[in-house]
Amino acid sequence: MSSFIISVTAADRVGIVYSVTGALLDLGGNVLELSQTVMRGYFTIILEAEFASSPATRQQIVDAIHERGRRFDLQVQVTEIKDGAEPVQVPSGERFILTVLGDDSPGIVHGIAGSLAAHGANIVDLHARVDGERFSLVMEALIPHDLTPAAIRSELERYGRAHKLEAFVQHENIFAATTEPSPVRIGAALRGQGDSVASN
Amino acid sequence: MHRTEDVLATLSMIRQHKLDVRTVTMGIDLAPCSSPDVTTLCDRIRARLIQYAGRLRAVCREVEGRYGIPIVNRRIALSPIGRVAAGHSTEGLLAVARTLDAVAAEVEVDLVGGFTALVQKGWTEAERRLIAALPEVLSTTKRVCSSVNVGSTAAGINMDAVAALGHVLKETAERTRDDDGFGCAKIVIFGNATNDNPFMAGAFHGQGEPDCVINIGVSGPGVVKAAVEDLVAHAPSRPTLGDIAEEIKSTAFRVTRVGELIGREVAARLGVAFGIVDLSLAPTPQVGDSVGEILQAMGVSRLGGPGSTAALALLNDAVKKGGSFASSSVGGLSGAFVAVSEDSALAKAVEAGDLTLAKLEAMTAVCSVGLDMIAVPGDTDAETLSALIADEVAIGVINHKTTAVRVIPVPGKKAGERAVFGGLFGEMDILPIHAAGGSAEFVRHGGRIPAPLSSLRN
Repeated sequence: MSSFIISVTAADRVGIVYSVTGALLDLGGNVLELSQTVMRGYFTIILEAEFASSPATRQQIVDAIHERGRRFDLQVQVTEIKDGAEPVQVPSGERFILTVLGDDSPGIVHGIAGSLAAHGANIVDLHARVDGERFSLVMEALIPHDLTPAAIRSELERYGRAHKLEAFVQHENIFAATTEPSPVRIGAALRGQGDSVASN
Repeated sequence: MHRTEDVLATLSMIRQHKLDVRTVTMGIDLAPCSSPDVTTLCDRIRARLIQYAGRLRAVCREVEGRYGIPIVNRRIALSPIGRVAAGHSTEGLLAVARTLDAVAAEVEVDLVGGFTALVQKGWTEAERRLIAALPEVLSTTKRVCSSVNVGSTAAGINMDAVAALGHVLKETAERTRDDDGFGCAKIVIFGNATNDNPFMAGAFHGQGEPDCVINIGVSGPGVVKAAVEDLVAHAPSRPTLGDIAEEIKSTAFRVTRVGELIGREVAARLGVAFGIVDLSLAPTPQVGDSVGEILQAMGVSRLGGPGSTAALALLNDAVKKGGSFASSSVGGLSGAFVAVSEDSALAKAVEAGDLTLAKLEAMTAVCSVGLDMIAVPGDTDAETLSALIADEVAIGVINHKTTAVRVIPVPGKKAGERAVFGGLFGEMDILPIHAAGGSAEFVRHGGRIPAPLSSLRN
């Protein structure tokens, strides 16, 4: 069995997902996880596929996607996940949403990412865009348990002051609470407490 | 990943539209503190407040930092002192009030409620003494708030207490003359008072509550106004009032959820019970944080004019529906406050002559909570104030809802002059009382207005 991380980009057109997944199916592949978006007219997809019954090579996959998607002018990158390799260790922590808003200038994402990396905060999802002169960035980051959100906030605020940006650091539960109808979640270590019939 | 639009919408509610947690109110049962010795009683109260509320400030700060949402006030609501201090003299009651004031400062809460008597059917000697001591308490303490429940749908209205409270308001105002009678802003007179209201001045820790509980008062007039304005401005065609109600409901959902999240987290960190979210829309004097502005966004440009009551009814109902879907722990007053001096748009409507006391009374039939933060002429006689209280409480008693009165007879000032209370209490032009001075005989009859019939409800 072999597994691959596959990314494909192209100018957006109808039918690219159909084409890419068809090529993988032809090779006996099964998609385990997939994320796709269109950004400023460009299609991008990243997925993990495994080939259990008929092991494929990296080059076979690249060729199959190119061949089936000739009309899309696809840019394809394939990375094999080595069998038995130790999973990469990433820092753990609580999931916070970091929002940065303000005037656009080159290097903002780089600067923010540097501030987080210096504190060991791991970015797990990030979306940034510029509309006119306005820059906005929303990211999910794992903040280590021994670090307070105030520490990250003051670091980002320090950066923000120098670049006319406002920065906000908020636990993800507030966004879950305000946008999802499921029961309100509080910190894992606190669950089970605070119920209205709790004795004290 | 949370959608960027959802993150920015929530952030916008906090940053631009003043969504905050108006109060984290810790309810504490004081029954175990009772003692025939006043020193022991005060010592026990102090120890119990510090035991439960000693970490309240620190925990609120932690939770604020975690979620990036302001917690504006921390407060304590206590078991009605009229019962806890039963058997004590007036001096004993004053010692309790001074203790509460001192401990509230020590644990850094801004107000402590519960200097309270529940006398809807009758009053004990202790409760009679407590009511008589209110002018002294309200004029000599800074943080102590009082409430008196004078009526309920089950019991009717205790008109003896109502009559006494007219004099209490007059004397309290006179003793705080230099502050435009501000002492009266710290007392609420209720019909059908709730046990778990977190908002001051009327919060107390009622029967059926646990030893200690965290109740939350959220606030979001600015958020609701922004949502209505946005709908009206950007809908492809003129939105119907049904569309507006739906918009308010979904906004109330978000506001309520913020309150529940903060309440559960604070309670869990303190190791005490979480009680309820009170989803009342509570205004502040800041422009953009006004219930009146919501009605204006709905199209009622002259607050107090025809349409005001219907618009307020729609708003109040939609808020409750959205909040009830958001949380199974909604309680307290949960409606829209029309606190006049605290609401810049309502205060302006008074200045313009559009909003009258009679219209306010009508509006309180469809919203929470009653005649709230209303300055009236200083020469209003005690019986007229009592009759005003009786009218408002009657609306609540007959309609099975909470109503309340917080009026301030401003010493030395007449209708149209300015009363200034400062801070969150705001300011307003003094409202005239139409046909004042003709109700003394009615009030002096005393006794009890019987409980209303619960059938034949039309």
